[in-house]
Amino acid sequence: MATVAKTHSAAHRATLGRESVREALVGYAFVALPIASFLIFFMYPLANAFYISYFDWGALGKIESVGLGNYRDLLDDFLFGKALRNTLYYAAVVVPAQIALGLGLAVIVNQALRFRTFFRAAFYFPSIAGSIAITAVAAYILSADGLLNAGISAISGDEYNRPWFGQSDTALESIMALNIWTTSGTMMLFYLASLQSIPTDVYEAAAIDGAGPWRTFWKITFPLLKPGHFFVAVVSVIGALQVFDQAFFISAGSGGPNYSTMTIVLYLYNTAIEGARFGYASAIGIILFAIIFTLTLIQRLLFGRAEVA
Amino acid sequence: MADARDLPSVPPVVAAEQLAAEGEVAIGAGPAGIPGQERSERVRRVIVYVLLFLVALLFFVPFFWSVTTSLKTLPESVGFDLLPDNPSIRAYRSALSAYDFNRYFLNSVFLAAVVTTSTLFLASLGGYAFARLKFPGREFLFLLVLGTLMIPNELRLVPIYQMLIDLPVLHVNLLGTYQGYFVINLVTATSLFLMRQYFLTIPKDYEEAAKLDGAGYFKTYWRVMLPLAGPALAAVTILTFQGTWNDFFWPLIIFLGDETKYTLPLGIFQFRTQFYTQWPELMAASVIAIVPIALIYVFFQRYFVAGVTAAGVKG
Repeated sequence: MATVAKTHSAAHRATLGRESVREALVGYAFVALPIASFLIFFMYPLANAFYISYFDWGALGKIESVGLGNYRDLLDDFLFGKALRNTLYYAAVVVPAQIALGLGLAVIVNQALRFRTFFRAAFYFPSIAGSIAITAVAAYILSADGLLNAGISAISGDEYNRPWFGQSDTALESIMALNIWTTSGTMMLFYLASLQSIPTDVYEAAAIDGAGPWRTFWKITFPLLKPGHFFVAVVSVIGALQVFDQAFFISAGSGGPNYSTMTIVLYLYNTAIEGARFGYASAIGIILFAIIFTLTLIQRLLFGRAEVA
Repeated sequence: MADARDLPSVPPVVAAEQLAAEGEVAIGAGPAGIPGQERSERVRRVIVYVLLFLVALLFFVPFFWSVTTSLKTLPESVGFDLLPDNPSIRAYRSALSAYDFNRYFLNSVFLAAVVTTSTLFLASLGGYAFARLKFPGREFLFLLVLGTLMIPNELRLVPIYQMLIDLPVLHVNLLGTYQGYFVINLVTATSLFLMRQYFLTIPKDYEEAAKLDGAGYFKTYWRVMLPLAGPALAAVTILTFQGTWNDFFWPLIIFLGDETKYTLPLGIFQFRTQFYTQWPELMAASVIAIVPIALIYVFFQRYFVAGVTAAGVKG
């Protein structure tokens, strides 16, 4: 990294030596607090989570070592299975929808449109509001006598009164719809950054060859967006697997109705904070970490190679 | 764990470059004009614009609806008049008196202000050191910073909860205190990364001039580098302020049960569980939580874009 030019005299080098020691000390001092903070509140918790997960650990501390017992118990835990299935189902719907919508919006607002800035702002707007405030708004619109049902009633002619968040066959799906809406703007921004890194001369070449917009998109834009796809997919998957706020809000923490909104993180929270079963909760956290880590690696293998280019 | 170059760093770097360019982003390739097709082209464009405005409307309707409802009475709130007959701030008063939303608002401002200040200082100071100063182990330490991005919040829940109850060495209980929230949110890897990337784009001439004037490292950072890093500082400010303002997870864990320390998201959650269908009041509380961020967004849109793109590393 350090390539020092060899044009200095010996006397110069002596002062430089002292100077570089000083520089190093100052460097350590400047990064000391951030590094300490990351070690204490990230790296140590990571190691500690593994450690705690090998114990039966209650509110008053360690009870006994259970080895992999917590992990074995998870296999037979009905609620954990439910939470895992719900979360994977949630991710399987939300991730592709977010990616498709984000890409579509990005391609549109990347064109030389009038009011382009306005459209970008409008599409991104739902992403800036806090998850709790926006879920409260959604709870109102999707309530039994809310705006959505009124719209459906007006179109169909029949009175429609479904409490979307209150019935187990639509509660999780409603959270999906909510989050697809609120985060597609963020995905749009990621794709926009990626789109703008594509050199314009590729498009000029395509236009000379007579390629239409549809063909240009699939043959040129889409493949060239490979780093963007990887990035968006990773961010989207990680976010989806960690869904918590919305499920916690609409079910008041219970994961109801009928555990239809029980997610992995909600179950983890309940196990740790409500149940004070810290060893078991840590095992859930490790499983989630392992899933995220594995999926990120797989996505890397799928999309990663183009990044070198 | 991944090597620094293996992390998906493309968009953040782009974001940093956009910040450095400090201008409106280049216009993408527009459709090439084909002679003789101008008319159908015009029709197509009109259709596209109409569709776009409809989608934009769809994105706005929920917000519009929450604002108008917050000005309605309860009977009106289950009807579908676009605007209230007699708009009033009754729901705001009622929400404020049922719960201490004034207090929640001030708590949110306080938490966001402190966390933003500490993040700005530590991220820029650390970012400067990683970008400019040479010290053994620099690359390794920077990898450690990036590595924290891989650790999800949920995994940290139990260890941090226990740490806050009984802080190692000092043996104090920080659960339920503001200090507990501050100590785990001193600085983020995303902000530090963003600052470093930005400092790397600044030419070294400025610092060398300062060095000739005999300025020390801290003075160079404070007097030369910081004033040049305005756009990056703005992005970090917005990113951190918004993140803290909207944070629900950690305030829930740290403050649950002590209403005097609730932030707006916690207040809204509490209100909802107590008064299930008091829609005007609930919407009033939500509007109070959304409007400040919306205002910041309107005025500093450009920095939002760069900040969010960089924050994507964190997910």
